[in-house]
Amino acid sequence: MTVGSQVKTCYATLKSIEAGLDLLHASTTEQDLKTTIDETSQLIKIARQDIHQQIIHIDKQEPQYKS
Amino acid sequence: MPEWISIIIRSIILITVLFFFVKWLGAKQLSQLNIFETISGIVLGGIAAFHTVDPYNSFYYALLAMFVWFIAAFTIEKLSLKSKRIRDFTDGKSTVFIQNGKVMEENLKKEGYSTDDLLEKLRNNDQFLVSDVEFAVLEPTGELNVLPKRENRPITLKDLNIAPAPDKEPQTVIADGNILLEPLANASLNPTWLEAELEKQNVTIDNVFLGQVDHQGQLFLDLYDDHIAVPEPAQSALLLASMKKCQADLELFALATDNPQAKELYDRNQKRLQEAIRRIEPYLK
Repeated sequence: MTVGSQVKTCYATLKSIEAGLDLLHASTTEQDLKTTIDETSQLIKIARQDIHQQIIHIDKQEPQYKS
Repeated sequence: MPEWISIIIRSIILITVLFFFVKWLGAKQLSQLNIFETISGIVLGGIAAFHTVDPYNSFYYALLAMFVWFIAAFTIEKLSLKSKRIRDFTDGKSTVFIQNGKVMEENLKKEGYSTDDLLEKLRNNDQFLVSDVEFAVLEPTGELNVLPKRENRPITLKDLNIAPAPDKEPQTVIADGNILLEPLANASLNPTWLEAELEKQNVTIDNVFLGQVDHQGQLFLDLYDDHIAVPEPAQSALLLASMKKCQADLELFALATDNPQAKELYDRNQKRLQEAIRRIEPYLK
């Protein structure tokens, strides 16, 4: 597995975590948990966008491995 | 009227009367009754027993006597709820045996407790050393309650500075294959949700012996057919695990790359995930 695809896997996991947090947010009625999830998913979102930039960068560097 | 018929009728009436009197006097356990309540209970029973088997006694006298005793007990109970002074008189006061780690000898003597009695009571509370006890009080019921010194108390989450996630009581939503609507509403869920969850786990409602929802809204099922394996609720555990995996991956990338810019980026996001895990972890456990 190239580094590029490893990073892409990680990016996908981040997406799935975000979705999982959203699901939890929708299914709970506890206000405490809702705020914590909001904070957490904000952090995950920033990380995901950051990693996305990195993926674009990696793809540009070695286009022959682009998937 | 033959005597045996009279005894049957008397018994039935007295049982009914006694039942209602005891009900109105309140539901306390025997050990929680004060002396007066105990005595009036015994007397009420005694009157009922006495008049049941003695057909020559006037039955109205029995009812009258029982009524008087009931009224007396009832009034005292109600009055003692209202006034502290009456309560102290009827229920008795608690006596402090150990204060600030020192034994109060006069109080022991007043209650007729020897050192051995005190030590026995302390041992009942798992305290074998008097020096471990900060405070001990003898309740009017004869029970000794003990507050150990700060360092001898069991450790709590507060001591460890851990903030626990708020916990709600679990709700039993399915019993014997029937949906229980009230607990379901208490967990702010509805039957449609329950049906969807059952479908997800691929079981029919008739096969479910017991279903419980925990504080995170996850459903646990016990089936009649024990051969069918039901997955344990693991949604939140899975979420936490994937967060941890992602964080570890990023850490690995940061170590593996030689490009300082990329290293910085991975490290930054790894830290973000770490922070996210720290915040959400108590709720997902």
